[in-house]
Parts: sequence; structure tokens; C-alpha cells
Amino acid sequence: MRTNRIWSWLFVALAIAYFALPLIGTFEFSLKMRRAAYSLDAYAVVLGDPRFQQTFMYSVLMALATIAVGVLLVVPTAYWVRLKLPHWRPFMEFMTLLPLVIPPIVIVFGYIRLYNTSSWLPLTGSAMGTNVLLMFGYVVLALPYMYRAVDTGLRAIDVATLTEAAQSLGAGWVTILARVILPNVAVAVLSGAFLTFAIVIGEFVMAALLSRPAFGPYMQLLGANRAYEPAALAVIAFLITWGCMALIQVVSRFAPKPPEQLH
Amino acid sequence: MADPFLSIQHVEKSFGATKVVHDFNLDVEAGEFVSFLGPSGCGKTTVLRMVAGFEEPSAGHILVGGKDITRLRPNQRNIGMVFQAYALFPNLTVAQNIGFGLRVAGASRADIDKRVAEMLALISLPQMADRYPYQLSGGQQQRIALARALAPKPKLLLLDEPLSALDAKVRVSLREEIRSIQKELGITTIFVTHDQEEALSISDRIAVMYGGKAEQVGAPFEIYNRPATRFVANFVGTLNVLEGTVTDASAGTVRVASQDVALKGKLDGSRTGDTLSLALRPEAIALGARPGHDSKLAGEIADVHFLGSVIRVRVGVGGKQISLDTFNNSSTPPPVVGDKTEISFSSGDVLVLH
Amino acid sequence: MSFAWLGVMPFLLFALLFLILPTMKIVVGSFQTNEGGFTLANIANLFQPSILSAYWISIRISLASALLGCGFGFLVAWAFVLGGLPGWIRSPLLTFSGVASNFAGVPLAFAFLATFGRLGLVTLILRDWFGINIYGLGFNLLSFGGLTLTYLFFQIPLAILIITPALDGMRREWREAAAILGASGFQYWRIVAFPILWPSLLGTFALLFANSFGAVATAYALTGSSLSIVPILLFAQIRGDVLQDPHLGYALAFGMIVVTGIANGIYIWLRARSERWIK
Ligand SMILES: Nc1ncnc2c1ncn2[C@@H]1O[C@H](COP(=O)(O)OP(=O)(O)OP(=O)(O)O)[C@@H](O)[C@H]1O
Ligand SMILES: [Mg+2]
Repeated sequence: MRTNRIWSWLFVALAIAYFALPLIGTFEFSLKMRRAAYSLDAYAVVLGDPRFQQTFMYSVLMALATIAVGVLLVVPTAYWVRLKLPHWRPFMEFMTLLPLVIPPIVIVFGYIRLYNTSSWLPLTGSAMGTNVLLMFGYVVLALPYMYRAVDTGLRAIDVATLTEAAQSLGAGWVTILARVILPNVAVAVLSGAFLTFAIVIGEFVMAALLSRPAFGPYMQLLGANRAYEPAALAVIAFLITWGCMALIQVVSRFAPKPPEQLH
Repeated sequence: MADPFLSIQHVEKSFGATKVVHDFNLDVEAGEFVSFLGPSGCGKTTVLRMVAGFEEPSAGHILVGGKDITRLRPNQRNIGMVFQAYALFPNLTVAQNIGFGLRVAGASRADIDKRVAEMLALISLPQMADRYPYQLSGGQQQRIALARALAPKPKLLLLDEPLSALDAKVRVSLREEIRSIQKELGITTIFVTHDQEEALSISDRIAVMYGGKAEQVGAPFEIYNRPATRFVANFVGTLNVLEGTVTDASAGTVRVASQDVALKGKLDGSRTGDTLSLALRPEAIALGARPGHDSKLAGEIADVHFLGSVIRVRVGVGGKQISLDTFNNSSTPPPVVGDKTEISFSSGDVLVLH
Repeated sequence: MSFAWLGVMPFLLFALLFLILPTMKIVVGSFQTNEGGFTLANIANLFQPSILSAYWISIRISLASALLGCGFGFLVAWAFVLGGLPGWIRSPLLTFSGVASNFAGVPLAFAFLATFGRLGLVTLILRDWFGINIYGLGFNLLSFGGLTLTYLFFQIPLAILIITPALDGMRREWREAAAILGASGFQYWRIVAFPILWPSLLGTFALLFANSFGAVATAYALTGSSLSIVPILLFAQIRGDVLQDPHLGYALAFGMIVVTGIANGIYIWLRARSERWIK
């Protein structure tokens, strides 16, 4: 037991070193813009750059749209599968895991070829159409996490009983979903939403290939041309990701406990 | 008396600042079946785990066959153990589970197969060899767990509430099976339970534990009929307790619920005016008079439970309720709530708790 | 006949339009000529040295980062689940793993450049304090080793997140039952614990492999187009920078699906073989 603990501390210490070094390194580098002393100049330059503000806002809006569409798509589906189509669950699991197996670059390549200006659905023909396409692409990327989170959340509540109770009080499907099911899986939905936010905000390949002015391509561009600003951007991006995960932790405290598992 | 096979000497255990086992002492003879009985959290599992080697005693010694094993690691002790539940290896078949102990000891294939077949026959599940644990019922799993523990021929068998996850019927049949296998192999066994009926029915001796101490160690008959402490008397079996005041120490009379009761020879050491608790088992009390019963109290029927062969009656005596059992008899109607009645008992059956 | 399946129609339509059809388009396109006739020429074109070597280095990086990610992730998860560490360490480690596993892409590349690049913190500290010039010793961030080191930053935490629940499922009774039956720690791991964990480890490995095989952003931000791995080749092809033949792009993408598909196929096959004991 005691030797175990020494090894455990060793592994954890090594891991902390590996993960802390790049973070410290980046932070230190981001402060070195002024020659003689540490300064926040790099941050000032980045935050003051109008393209930073524009692309960041664009990605934030994209993330919010993705979350809204994702929730509208995933919650009713996961609910319906739990309630009426339990034998579909393996199929749904397979479908929602596919985006982890098919690389995003392949998916977006398919979009470009399938929805180009000469196709039956010329989404890439207009800026708005491309935005919508990109947003659907993000929904696909978020699908594994979103579906997982919501399905786990639904497991913690008794879907069938809640539905019957609501129906016996005369509620229709929309009311049931919006007033009964959604509040009960709110924590799961929020967790999925924050994760989606973290994924979308820095996403590069889809936005770059669809030529949208998103935050990811902006960061890449800045990185190719500047020295210290990218480090500052990396620190900012890390803080955003960290903020999303911290929010997941915070909302998880309010999750209903899943029923005791029987072994 | 020969040296005991297992000797637990002055063992103590603390987790952090809390001491959960206090000066625990027990000697177990070879081939004996001893149960640890006690309420939840009294330290039964902790003592058993110290014998197995999973916890190290904070003080004291544990000897097996005269050899001190206190500091030996579990895998060097040659002890068999059956856990409460779920302890079969889920990735191994029944046969592989049973053969595990021999396999890690480096036995040959042929020896393992032979022993596995023997063990499967012993627990009467010969056709289950190739199943995985998830394909077995809880009772079957525990029998396999028993076979697995016994396969390497351990010196000592430890069972920690092996039946508590099973339903009532299986529990009774399996405890008898465990006892008969134990007798057949003559293996020294410690059996942990918080079910007193279980302990009373299959043990050679019972150690009743409370608050990390052995309150009393003795044969079931002795534990039940001559509990040494108030806790044992209360914990094992149902007990009626009446408060009384000694009215005449020399004559042995006690005043209970404004009635006098004579308890000859029961009041040694008491003085007139002392208050006492008098305890009686339900089966020692009769409704009305009965030959040999020399004491009686008047009361009123408060409650009647028909349990089949037995009728449990509660009689109110001066604000207290006394439970007693009468056998069902189709020709006599059961007592009626509210009737005045008289209960009788033999003063020899009264336990005086100081 | 029940119409319950109608309830999942929106989802199925979405999946068809934005997941299945685009993928099918790629698969079909890689067997088509410009005029739409059937051909194997696009696939055959993959077998030229520059493309083969791009696949090979991609596969090597993915294998290495998945293997090391699983290995280190397992050790760290083991340390805080079973290794006797104090309980408070678990929650911050898991939260951090959530952060780091999502901290991929462009900013990760910046972080590693700022740390292990030619002027990075670690590079300078090693050079100035210890007299070790890692670039002089052949290290290069824009290489197989450098990219693997960088990918581990999100691979290890991802492995930790997936393996932790599996380790939580290891019952204390199994370990104790093995010990009391005379097994050493090593025997317990070999006969019981490892086979039980094997399916989760395989799954983690398959996921990590696909994760790094398809990753574009980190490599692109780190190396530009200088390191020829498949996703970057494909990226450049789609942008129209090089390789003017569009159907070669289909074939490249199809090859990526095949590789991750094979990795997952192997995973599913091995798992089915090793999970006979699961309901
Ligand atoms: N590892 C541990 N750390 C701290 N306290 C412990 C530990 N193990 C047991 N205890 C405490 O020691 C006391 C005795 O526990 P033990 O498991 O021996 O009880 P038990 O008699 O077996 O109870 P039960 O019938 O519920 O199984 C309990 O109060 C328990 O909370
Ligand atoms: Mg216990």
C-alpha cells in the first residue's frame, strides 16, 4: 500500500509537470512583448484588435445558435427514444458516436461538395446559407456530447411516469417537453451546452474551409504573422475553456441523483 | 484444554482517532463454527478483516495453529473467505473462479480440473462449470464463492454476511448447506451475521458483539437462555422487561406494577428498596395458570397477532406491555382484546438484570 | 404497425443530410471520374510515395499518441482512483482533464510553441540552466516526436476521463478475494483486473486514435503546411493550394474514413471477443 502511494504521487506529479509547463510557458511568453519587462501589452493588442472582437462575437453567436438547435434536436429525440423506442438505443448510440469516428475535415469536405452553388441545395451560395451550414456542422460535432449528457440526464428521472402524470393532467407533447422534461434535464442540457460552447468557440477546420470569419481561423492567422499575441490568445482561449468546464461543475451540483444502480 | 486453533488476543483497531475494536479476545477450536453476531457497525467485519489480513490491528496478536500471523500479508495466510456479495470474478467462468486459488499457486491443469469437479459436486452444481457469474442466481453465486474459497484447502474459513443479499428462502437453505459442508470438511469457520436466528441455528458458539467488544461468547443455548449482559439479553430474541422494586430481600419479593411477585433465590446481593429489571422470554409466559409456574401477574389483553401455529399476545401489565406466545389450538378461540387476564411464569425463568 | 418512429424523423433527417450523405458523397466520389463514371484510378493515385508517407506518418503519430495517451492516462487515473491518494485530489484532476481534453486546436499549438519552440520557456531553461540544447540534440516540435508530444496534451486527459469510470467499477472485493486466494498483485492484474478493463482500454485507444488522426488545427497552426500528414494534405487540397485533381481529394478523405473505420472495426471485434462475460 505504501509503495503504491509513492508511485501514485510520482505519476500525478509527472502529469502536473507536463500539463503545467506549457501553460506556464505560454503565460510567461505572452508577457514578454515589451523588451525590458513583463507587460500585458500582448493582451492589449489582441483585445483591441477589431478583428478579434468581430470574430469572437461571430463564434459566440455560432455557439449559441448551435446550442439552441442542438437542444431542440437532441432533447425531444432522446426523450422519445427512451419513452417509445427503447430498442433503438443501440442504433442511436451508434449514430451519435459517428462524428467521433469520421474526421470533421471529411464531413466538411462532404458539405462543400454536396451543398455547393450548383447543387440541389446551394447552401454555400450565400453567406447566410454558409452560416447555417457551419452551424449544422457544429451540431454534428457536438452531437456525441450533447446526446450523451441528455440521455444520462433522462436516465436519472422516470420518463414514463412523468409523462403519464402530465398526460393525465391534460398536457400536450409540447407542454410535456418544455414544462416537464426540459426542467428535469436542465443540468444535463447545460453541461452539454457549455461543452458545446468550448468546442465551437475555438473550432478551426470547418470554419476555415467554409471561409467563415470565425475565431479559430483568426487565431491561426494571427499565429502565422505575430510572435507574442498568439500566446496571449492561447491564454485567453484556455481561460474560456476553463470557464466552461467550471460552469459544468457548478451546474452539476444541482443535478438530480441517478437512482441507485442495482448490480 | 488443547491450544486453540485460532487465537485472537487483545486485538484493537482504530481508524484515525476513532477506536472501533476494543480489546477483542477469542479462542476458536479446530473444526469449530463460531458466529459473530451484533448490530450494524459494531465491528464484526473489522475483526474478520484483521483475521484475513486486510486490516492491520492497532494492537494485539492473531495466532493460527500457534503461529503469529498478525503481520502476514493476506495472500500468505491460506485462509478462505466469502464476501457479502459480488465477489466472483466476472470475467472468469465458474470453473476458472473455483480454480483461481490453485492456478495462482501454480498447480497443474489436471489437479485444478480434478479439484474443481470435486468442489462443484460438493456444492451440487456440477453442470454450471462453464457459465459466467452473470448467468447465475445470487444463491448460486454464493455457493460458487464458497467453493472457490474452499478449493485451495484453507486452514480457516471466514464468511462475512454471505447470505444477507439473498432472499429469505434461499437464505435458510443455503445456511444449512454451509453448515453441513463445514461439518463434512471439519474446517474451522467464522461466520459474521447480524441475523440472530441465523447465528443461533448453525453455530457451535456465538460471539455477541457490541461497540467493538465481545459482550458474551457461548453456545447458542447459553447465549439465549443465560445472557450475561443486558445488551445480549435484549439483542438475542424478544425480551419482556419489567421494572420492579425489592420489597423484601430475604423473602425474595419484588413489587411489579403494584403487584407482589415472589422470586426465590434470584435476588442475591439485592437489598430491600433496590430497583431491578426483570426479563422474561415470550415463550416462558403462559396465559392463565400452568403447572410449574409459581408466579403470576394480572393484566389486560392489549393486542393479538395470529401468526399461524403460534399466537403472539400482548398483555398490558401496569402500563407496560408483555409479549407472550401461545400455540394455536383449533378448539379454543383466541383471546379477545380488552379481556382481563392473568399471566403466569416460573420464577426460575426470570432473568434479573442489574 | 406503430408510428412511434415518426418521432425521431427530424433527427434522422438531420443525420442523413449533415452526416450520412456528405460522407457517402465522399465515398462515392472517390470511385468516380470527372464525368461521373466508375474508376479505381483515384484510389490507385493514393499509392504514390508522397501520399503513402503522409498516411504512414499520420498513422504513426496517431498510434503513438493514442498508445502513450492510454498508458499515461491509465497510470494517472489509477493513481487517484486506486493508488491511495487523498480524496480531494480527484475532483480538480477530473475538472482539469475536462479543460485540457478540450484545449485542442490552434491555441494548443501556440502554447507548445511558446514552451518547446526555439525560444520557448522550457527550451531556454534547459539551454541556459542545464546547458542542454534540445534542438541541437535533434528535437523538433514540427516533427513526429514534437507533434506526438503536443497531441498528448489532449489525449492523456481524454483517456483519464474515459478510464476513470472503468476503474471506479473495479470492486474492492475482487482484489481482496484474489489476495486471500493467494494471488500476488501482479497475478490479480493479469488474470482479473486487466481483462476486465481491457474493453474500456481498447475503446479509449480507438477513440484516441481517431481523435488524433483527424486533427487538423493543432498541426496546421504548429507547422503550417510543412509537415505532410494526411489531414493537412487534405486541407491544402480542399483549399486548392496543391494537387489540382479534385477526385484525389475524395480519395484522400475516403482513405481517412477507411483508416479510422478499420481502427474502430478492430476495436469492435476485439471487444466482442473479450466481452463474452458481459450481459
Ligand atoms: N476503513 C474505515 N475507515 C474508517 N472507519 C471505518 C472503516 N471501516 C469501518 N469503519 C467503522 O468501523 C465501525 C465498524 O465497522 P464494521 O464494518 O466492522 O461493522 P460491522 O459490524 O461489520 O457492521 P455491518 O453489520 O453493518 O456490516 C463502523 O463504525 C465503521 O464506520
Ligand atoms: Mg460488516
